[in-house]
Amino acid sequence: MSMINDSSLRRAVTTIFEGQDAVLSLHGRIENAAAFELGAHLEAAIDRHPNSMVLDFSDLDFMGAAGLIAVANAEKRLTTLGTTLTVRAPSALINRLLSMMEGAETARSERKRTPGDALGPEDPDATPGVSVRMRRSAATDDLRRVTSMAADPDVVDGALRLLVDLAKSGVHGADGASVSLLRHGRISTVAASDQTILAMDANQYAAGEGPCIDASMQGHWFHAESLATETRWPAFTPLARDLGIKAIMSTPLRALDDPVGALNFYSRDALAFATKDQEMAALFATRASAILSDARAGVSDTQLAFRFQESLRSREVISLAKGIIMEREGVNENDAFAALLRMSLQHGAPLRGLAAEMVLTTHKREGERKRSRNE
Amino acid sequence: MNDSPHDVLDMYRQEAGLTHGELWLRYFELGGMSTAFELEAFLFGVIAPSSHNHDVIAHAINERFSELGGDHPVAYSTTPDADES
Repeated sequence: MSMINDSSLRRAVTTIFEGQDAVLSLHGRIENAAAFELGAHLEAAIDRHPNSMVLDFSDLDFMGAAGLIAVANAEKRLTTLGTTLTVRAPSALINRLLSMMEGAETARSERKRTPGDALGPEDPDATPGVSVRMRRSAATDDLRRVTSMAADPDVVDGALRLLVDLAKSGVHGADGASVSLLRHGRISTVAASDQTILAMDANQYAAGEGPCIDASMQGHWFHAESLATETRWPAFTPLARDLGIKAIMSTPLRALDDPVGALNFYSRDALAFATKDQEMAALFATRASAILSDARAGVSDTQLAFRFQESLRSREVISLAKGIIMEREGVNENDAFAALLRMSLQHGAPLRGLAAEMVLTTHKREGERKRSRNE
Repeated sequence: MNDSPHDVLDMYRQEAGLTHGELWLRYFELGGMSTAFELEAFLFGVIAPSSHNHDVIAHAINERFSELGGDHPVAYSTTPDADES
């Protein structure tokens, strides 16, 4: 295949609908951001209630656990809808993985991880076995992952761009679509189907008014059926007409219930958006909101930093308490945790509080011992 | 406790109103060593957690229930018999 080699530049997943049959082709390595992309594609395709779904693995090099989880979830959803999921051209390796996943459903306890279960042969830091491979990444990677979207919006933006593509083709009256998001107090376009649409959004930000701004700020729908008679946005409307746009529909996006942006549809025809289109738009907006909620787009960096500080402090205190128990009882770390857990359950007190108390009393006792030794 | 522990864990996670990310943070606070990906794999049943890991996850969820004024519905695997005895 003559595709660009840099995985960041090429699409990891492409969705094609053949009538009501969905075909998703997976390309290259499905891990990290690409797994997220796969999840977004699967969700969007399932939302269209396909008669069947095919996953084409012929161009797939590697799939990480997150990708597998996305596939497993899709399979679960499809099963409840009575739709079959077929895998086309899987490599022997992927076959083994899929059977392993089936095994996980039915005979989880019997499964043993062996080097043969490795997720992919070409992984640069590959070590045999799923859990071993994943355990290699440092906790800091996880912190980043949990906040990855807030800290590194590229991942979310990628998913939203895909969603905009899907939304544009899903809403028949739409000539273009975009997503605008409030980030750090500013509104900007993170995904747009073309330059005209980008200009449409930019005009609204410049004019300080428009359906996309109102939907983003107020958290409800704005539908301008015909810009020829529209009066709500006097500064913006003429700019839109100049670009040949005649109808606009902006649906609010929410992250964890807070309005954070809008999914916008633009048309060159007045009265372009029928009821069915509005329903589709709402569906895509729900999808985008789910992506943003997962990404905690509504949570500020300061709040996240505070949360992490707290987490690290807790973990440190609990580690110290485990150390004390290990020393005192001559047990290993897991047993030390079990001892803390027993105490927590006995006293009906949070484990962290007990650990803090233990660290404090040990410190005092050691201080007293030292003092009496010195006297 | 015997039937599909991961389903139970993920069900309780949802009941406790915890996202996967939030549960991982709580698990991490309690000293959990697995990655967020791996935790999700536990919850979805792709990988079976060790009994120690199961207990850390269970306790992370149970403490959330305590905060909400409930009891400890999630069973432990290596059950610290303290509360029953």
